Amino acid sequence: MKAVGARLPRYDGLGHVTGRTQFVDDVRVGRTLWVKALRSPHHHAAITSMETSKAEKLKGVHAIVTCADVPKNVYGHLEALGVPADEPLLADGEVRYKGQPIAAVAAESEEAARAAVEAIEISFEEREPLFDIRKALDGEAPQIHQWGNVYPHYGPYNHRRVRKGDIEWAFENADAIVEGVYRPQAIEQMPMETQVALAVPEASGRLTIYSCTQAMYFSMGVVAAHLQVPLNKLKFIGGTVGGGFGGKVDTAADTVCALLALKSRRPVKWRWTREEEFLASSTRAPWHIEIADAVTNDGWILGRRMLTLHDSGAYSRFSPYGVTKHAFHHTGAYTIPNLRFDGFVVYTNRVPTTAMRGFGVTSVSFAVETHLTRVAHAIGMDPWQLRLKNANRIGDTSGNGVAMKDPSTVPVTLAAAERVGVELPAEFRQMTPEPRSGDLLPEHLREQQRLNGEDS
Amino acid sequence: MAKHRGRGFATIEYPTGMNQNGDPSQAWIKLKPDGRVDVFSGTVDIGQGSKTVHTQIVADALGVPYDWVTMDNTNTDSSAVCTGTFASRGTFIGGNAVRLAAERVRERIIDIASKELEIDPSDLEIENGEVIAKGAPQKKIGIPDVAGAATYNYGELISGSSTALKPFADVDDSTGQVEIEPHSAISYAACVADVVVDDETGEVVVEKLVQVYDVGRAINPTLVEGQIEGGAIMGLGLGLTENSYPYYPSPENRGGEFGAYLGPALHDLPELDNVIIENPSEDGPFGAKAIGEMANNAQPPAIATAIFDAVGVWVTEMPATPERVLEALEAKREPRRDGKRVIFDEHISVRTVSSNGGEGFLGVDA
Repeated sequence: MKAVGARLPRYDGLGHVTGRTQFVDDVRVGRTLWVKALRSPHHHAAITSMETSKAEKLKGVHAIVTCADVPKNVYGHLEALGVPADEPLLADGEVRYKGQPIAAVAAESEEAARAAVEAIEISFEEREPLFDIRKALDGEAPQIHQWGNVYPHYGPYNHRRVRKGDIEWAFENADAIVEGVYRPQAIEQMPMETQVALAVPEASGRLTIYSCTQAMYFSMGVVAAHLQVPLNKLKFIGGTVGGGFGGKVDTAADTVCALLALKSRRPVKWRWTREEEFLASSTRAPWHIEIADAVTNDGWILGRRMLTLHDSGAYSRFSPYGVTKHAFHHTGAYTIPNLRFDGFVVYTNRVPTTAMRGFGVTSVSFAVETHLTRVAHAIGMDPWQLRLKNANRIGDTSGNGVAMKDPSTVPVTLAAAERVGVELPAEFRQMTPEPRSGDLLPEHLREQQRLNGEDS
Repeated sequence: MAKHRGRGFATIEYPTGMNQNGDPSQAWIKLKPDGRVDVFSGTVDIGQGSKTVHTQIVADALGVPYDWVTMDNTNTDSSAVCTGTFASRGTFIGGNAVRLAAERVRERIIDIASKELEIDPSDLEIENGEVIAKGAPQKKIGIPDVAGAATYNYGELISGSSTALKPFADVDDSTGQVEIEPHSAISYAACVADVVVDDETGEVVVEKLVQVYDVGRAINPTLVEGQIEGGAIMGLGLGLTENSYPYYPSPENRGGEFGAYLGPALHDLPELDNVIIENPSEDGPFGAKAIGEMANNAQPPAIATAIFDAVGVWVTEMPATPERVLEALEAKREPRRDGKRVIFDEHISVRTVSSNGGEGFLGVDA
């Protein structure tokens, strides 16, 4: 029997449904200490003083870490891709979102750790926060990030750009220009397993970290960078995760546990409460998307202008990557030869947003698809036909200029139409993904194929 | 006051692999002395089923029964690099890593079998755990015997390793253009939503979703359907109920517990009609593309356009909560027309909301 294509049962399914799979919080190691964190109660504030000595003396407390204990406190998830670091592991002099970790305690019990957190003496001076990304570059907007309110490192630009074809020509020659605004908002990844880590200092001097990360080598790199140790000092144990959906691409609990384990010389476990998971762990980003499509009365999309603002929250994390991915897919499943796109990563005083299922593109799908149905109504055309006419075809070029090899806009759209009994004219029913020809290859689309070196 | 039916749909695409590539997955495989197969891969299974899919890929790439294969993805000492479980890359890139490693092991098995059978390697093939002479199936040797001979006669460990890596695609920051494909593959999907909108309460109920996915090749159709159906529930949350910031952009009134945050549950699940299309990718393992992330992308626009079909108003701030639907019904906004321009949603645009006309965002160089 061939295995590929077979409906084989899940490799680990029986363990999952009978409760025998070992997740991170199921791992019990003797003498483990428990962690609680001091988190910012303010959206934006200066830390004017902090004193941990009273908390350190409480019964059962073994170690407290603050930013002063982290060999490299500021790290960036995308440093390897040339994106500079901007986020402290533990806040240093300033907090930029409610829930931001400032200090962490390892103690004999979660209760003792919580009592020690409450005994840390800290004072703040509140600052004006920024929440509305549309106002981030207004003259009176508070400056909330060291780089200003938008991410400035797309080469020489403060935004991710796409420029393709002749956008002025498209808008001049269009019969209609349809404009709309789309605002998909933040949701939680909401895994059953909250963020959790267990760090065990070994006799060999290594640290074993039981992690719920979605990416063991990535998280190991993050911990190694914060600790400034080579990778052979760390062993990550993981690979089985109780739901991630993108939220566990961020390395949330591992590094703090590692620091506390080294400082206390004891195994240390930190398991976030459900409330922390909801309120202090990252969310999907809210987006603001403005589309203007230049269209002809017979349903060709000649060009698109698009402005995207991505609500990054307080730090960059993966947002610069997410906006680039968004930019690369801003035409959706369609071929639009003339483009002008500007996408901004905008900082606000909310929990940093991060990867979530569909990162960068879920927002495109919502905006583009809702918009195309509006376009169809505006020009009096059937929305199925509008999509099929402009569908990606073999040899078309994408927004960033690469030739498409195996696009399926046409087959999936036709299959859905047939399944629900939508009647389409024969010329649409008979469409395939094969290269454009005849009426489906007007002059404005010949040009985009030539740009790609395709000989039409 | 009435309930109105509507239908909407969306067609979407989604890339496989990290945007701009440069994201390796590595794997290595060794044979036990009885021919059973140990696979070491760092791909984290977050519930999507990568352990199962990778095991299936190795079984067929080697030509051994599925239950001979053991998958170890438990730690960074024994596993090599996997960039991670994200970007819908597990089946394609992680899968290619184990496939390529298995092909190397297959070559080693045939080399040893060639010595044992005294037949040229090019005349041998592997099927169901046996190395067989092409055209002379009576001449064969079981892989357990090959592995035993390797271990005890030839002093060899049959093993193989590989890396799946597509080179990084540099982007021109002024134009967004790239020289090489910045992804491994593109998957496509279409979704049709049938909804009922109550114009008194603003409540939207999705009664049926028809969902068509081109996944290249369904390595395990049951797991693909699991992704489609799990993704559908998540898409309902995105489209209708979930919001971390109910009064966005205000940060207040966040839900800090399940009872205060409206994730959809099984009772919200509509009738589902799933269609899998296989338009293979030339580079994917056995033609596979991906399914993971895209599975929650098509429902929200299908629902938004279905609401328009039902009651004639656009809700373009997602999710379409009862409050937003009622507000849109009340406001009955029409687009402003200016020459050939048809301008929707002006009241929420950057130009309107910003105190300086959105100059910082709208005024960038052409």
